[in-house]
Amino acid sequence: MRRSVSIAGLAAALVLGALGFGTGQKSHVASAQEKMSMMEVKIDNFTFGPATLTVPLGTTVTWINKDDIPHTVVSTDDSKTLKSKVLDTDEKFSFTFSKAGTYPYFCSIHPKMIGKVIVQ
Amino acid sequence: MHPFDIRAALLAKHAQHVVLIHFPIALFIIAVLFDFLAQWKRQRLPAAAAYYNLLVAAIATIPVVVTGILAWQWELEGQKLKGILLTHLVMGCASTVLIWVVWFIHRRSRRNQEEILPGYRLPIEAVAVVIVALTGHLGGFLSGVNGPG
Repeated sequence: MRRSVSIAGLAAALVLGALGFGTGQKSHVASAQEKMSMMEVKIDNFTFGPATLTVPLGTTVTWINKDDIPHTVVSTDDSKTLKSKVLDTDEKFSFTFSKAGTYPYFCSIHPKMIGKVIVQ
Repeated sequence: MHPFDIRAALLAKHAQHVVLIHFPIALFIIAVLFDFLAQWKRQRLPAAAAYYNLLVAAIATIPVVVTGILAWQWELEGQKLKGILLTHLVMGCASTVLIWVVWFIHRRSRRNQEEILPGYRLPIEAVAVVIVALTGHLGGFLSGVNGPG
């Protein structure tokens, strides 16, 4: 009787351990995927950093304004795929790229500020 | 962009405001200096110079306001402004009104052939110079004169 109880206990521990390990692995994979699909472009000192960003399809790119000056993120071409509102300090703009291609953009307040997202 | 690319320079949607703004600022500040000089030295010539500089400064505010509003409507698609942009807009409007008010005080005195201009114009002119300077400072800050390249 005592033996069967201890076997059952061991089995339960193994099952719980396996479940825990599996969940941990899953969360690790999920966070890696999240990292892959989220990219950030910092706007600072009148520059987009990085100016050219290459990302896989489906990636969400977030621009964050770390400058004291307002900036925008607007597509250079007529498509106006990217069109943010005026971003004050610490404000963000996100866009998910669902089509491969090159997306050039600029700040419409400071047209010398340019950047590019390459979606592969 | 080539420095003599006229088409690009003229068609840049917001570039004209940044260029034109220098005219009313310079004309107004020099007009006030002439007016203070005329008051101090009791001379007609600097007073006349002040009047005509004020006149051209006031006229020069029209294209500046128009291009500023167009820049807002075209480049920012008329978004609701806040922060420095809103402050710049409000102060720009206040500057324009003050420049026209100062010119109007001078014009009225000239039309009435008054020998002495009203003394209250001087503090108005001083306040207007400060507001114009602050508006210009904000504009410079916004246009990125302190930024790289």
